[in-house]
Amino acid sequence: MRNLIIFLRRYFNFFLFLLLEVICFVFVFRNNNFQRTVYLNSSNGLSGKLYSRYNDVQYYFHLKATNDSLVKENLRLHSELATSFDVRDTTSFVKFDTLRKYSNDTTRKLLSTEVRKFLYREAKVINNSVNREINTITIRRGSKDGIRPNMGVIGPNGVVGVVRSVSENYAVVISMLYKSSGASAGSNFGFSAKLRSSGEIGTVYWNGRNAAIGQMRDVPRSAKLHKGDTVITSGFSAVFPENLAIGYIDTFYLSDKSSTSYDIRLKFATNFYNLQYVYVIENLLRDEQTRLEDSTRNLLK
Amino acid sequence: MSVLLKNIIRFVLLILFQVLVLDQILIHQLVNPYLYMLFILLLPFNLPRPALQLLGFLLGITLDMFSDTMGIHAAACVFIAYLRPFVLNILSPQGGFEVTQRTPSVTSMGLSQFAIYVSVLVLLHNIAYFCLSVFSFADPLYLLMKILLSTAASLVLVLIYELLFFSRK
Repeated sequence: MRNLIIFLRRYFNFFLFLLLEVICFVFVFRNNNFQRTVYLNSSNGLSGKLYSRYNDVQYYFHLKATNDSLVKENLRLHSELATSFDVRDTTSFVKFDTLRKYSNDTTRKLLSTEVRKFLYREAKVINNSVNREINTITIRRGSKDGIRPNMGVIGPNGVVGVVRSVSENYAVVISMLYKSSGASAGSNFGFSAKLRSSGEIGTVYWNGRNAAIGQMRDVPRSAKLHKGDTVITSGFSAVFPENLAIGYIDTFYLSDKSSTSYDIRLKFATNFYNLQYVYVIENLLRDEQTRLEDSTRNLLK
Repeated sequence: MSVLLKNIIRFVLLILFQVLVLDQILIHQLVNPYLYMLFILLLPFNLPRPALQLLGFLLGITLDMFSDTMGIHAAACVFIAYLRPFVLNILSPQGGFEVTQRTPSVTSMGLSQFAIYVSVLVLLHNIAYFCLSVFSFADPLYLLMKILLSTAASLVLVLIYELLFFSRK
């Protein structure tokens, strides 16, 4: 016993070193579900406050770019408005979360009442990174504003990421810039996507190199691809609605002659370098969809 | 100014500089400059080793909190805090450094010794940090380039720091 104590005292430093490193590694590997350690990331009070103070100052320097992107978005939305089309097929308005569609003739019969599925909330970006392996965005909206984990996040131009953890006033978003090799399924962070022109389904990854470039896999060889084709969300994941831009095809190639799917290099639609405002999407029917899917999966097992 | 007060101020300033300035500027995907570990390098010579490691852990976990990299910075900081006494031992002349100045610096160690001391520990920090953060050896050249270029950037920053806060006494 005495020898043991002497031994421990002698190598105390080394054991302390091992202990601290083990603590660090536990933190690192619990990173995968870090909702539990929510107070030790940038959504906690101290760093959240510091980041929003800092952003108050730094925001002014980006006002021009932010304005430009908002004007562009307004332009896009205006051109999609019913009033900018010649034939008005609806005089619908949002009321109690339903969308009423009336017939077009003089009788004005109520055709259908559509339930609202997606709810958008705007959020200010207060911290953003692009040059790490796992990039996160802190936003100034939290559980008080109805933000919950696993909601989709989009920017003015396209998809941005998914909410990971939430505190009262802040939330941390994992952006699309989340390094994954794309080699093995299951352990990867990819976005379900499809091609706008032909509708082929694939998955979008990021390889950790350049914050403007992404990778798309699993597009079958039979697909007809063109440079500049738009890649959009597939709407399968219950996180994002359909038809949101993810990126534009830059180059594509077959990794070898016998491979059955294309490797596509695409430019992200979102400019991650100067993100100022994002929209958090809540899928109001999400619980119903996932419950149904899970119960079916359990039946099949 | 007492050594304690000086170190507390240095801790806060280096964390703020790292979070608000260095993490915000983007040079290249391969170059992520880190300066905050200078706090560990400039702690006094006679600090007990357990205290050194605990301070390293505290520093790392504080930065982890800001950059959402749970535990990665802390692991790298504890690593260099543990190795610091060994590096100092190798570099110290017979009979240890002069006792007149109690912290590592250019004047207490000599220019070449100090340069070796800083470069070795910064390199070790970056090796530990980037290995943990990239977490794959699938592309060793990418990892190596990232380590080397980031170390070079960090060393330039340390040089600027030393030029700014150089004291002759």
